[in-house]
Amino acid sequence: MFAIVEATLDVGALIRDSQRPDCGAVATFVGTTRIDESEGAAVEYLEYEAYRPMADRKLEEIGAEIERRWDVGHVSIVHRLGRVDPGEASVAIVVAAPRRGPAFEASRYAIERIKEVVPIWKREVWSDGYVWVGSQVGSRDGISGKS
Amino acid sequence: MIRVLLFGAAADRAGTRETELQIEDGVTLAEIWPLLAERHPDLAPMRDTLAFAVNGEYARGDAEVSPGDEVAVLPPVSGG
Repeated sequence: MFAIVEATLDVGALIRDSQRPDCGAVATFVGTTRIDESEGAAVEYLEYEAYRPMADRKLEEIGAEIERRWDVGHVSIVHRLGRVDPGEASVAIVVAAPRRGPAFEASRYAIERIKEVVPIWKREVWSDGYVWVGSQVGSRDGISGKS
Repeated sequence: MIRVLLFGAAADRAGTRETELQIEDGVTLAEIWPLLAERHPDLAPMRDTLAFAVNGEYARGDAEVSPGDEVAVLPPVSGG
């Protein structure tokens, strides 16, 4: 399953859906909101937006790349949009494979590719302003804002 | 007329998520940038960081754009 959703991610359901009698390994990667701190301020939550349907298609392409490169039985990638509070999951990747090696490698590949090619953007909302991650645009001190 | 969609930091700096540009047939993506930067001067400093898509797929500067197309302005992606 490849999806971009606004609701809380149900990682347990994704893992259950991946389990198959011909696979002996399920590798799961879950990205969660971390509270970074600097100069007396802290991240309060993250907010994600996407260019759809291009982002949906890019997730499917990553799944197809994985199936070409590794012997896997199942791949799910689900990314969340909107506000994601500390500790909550923003992305879940579940790969089932006959053997553990390909399951680990393919799940790592999926998250690295997401960070390279999927048009999704993350805004860190801090106690003293916000920052668009990767662009250094925002309203915190030392970040270039709207002039 | 083409529809231009802006995302993330680009939408933030431009102050809008969507705009329309009048173009001739057969212009390239690279030729559209000055029109966009003129309309939204705060975008100009971001030029080197941006990628573009035409009709939902990454496109290079020499890609042709025709009236009716959708162009997207994509800052460095930061999903995950």
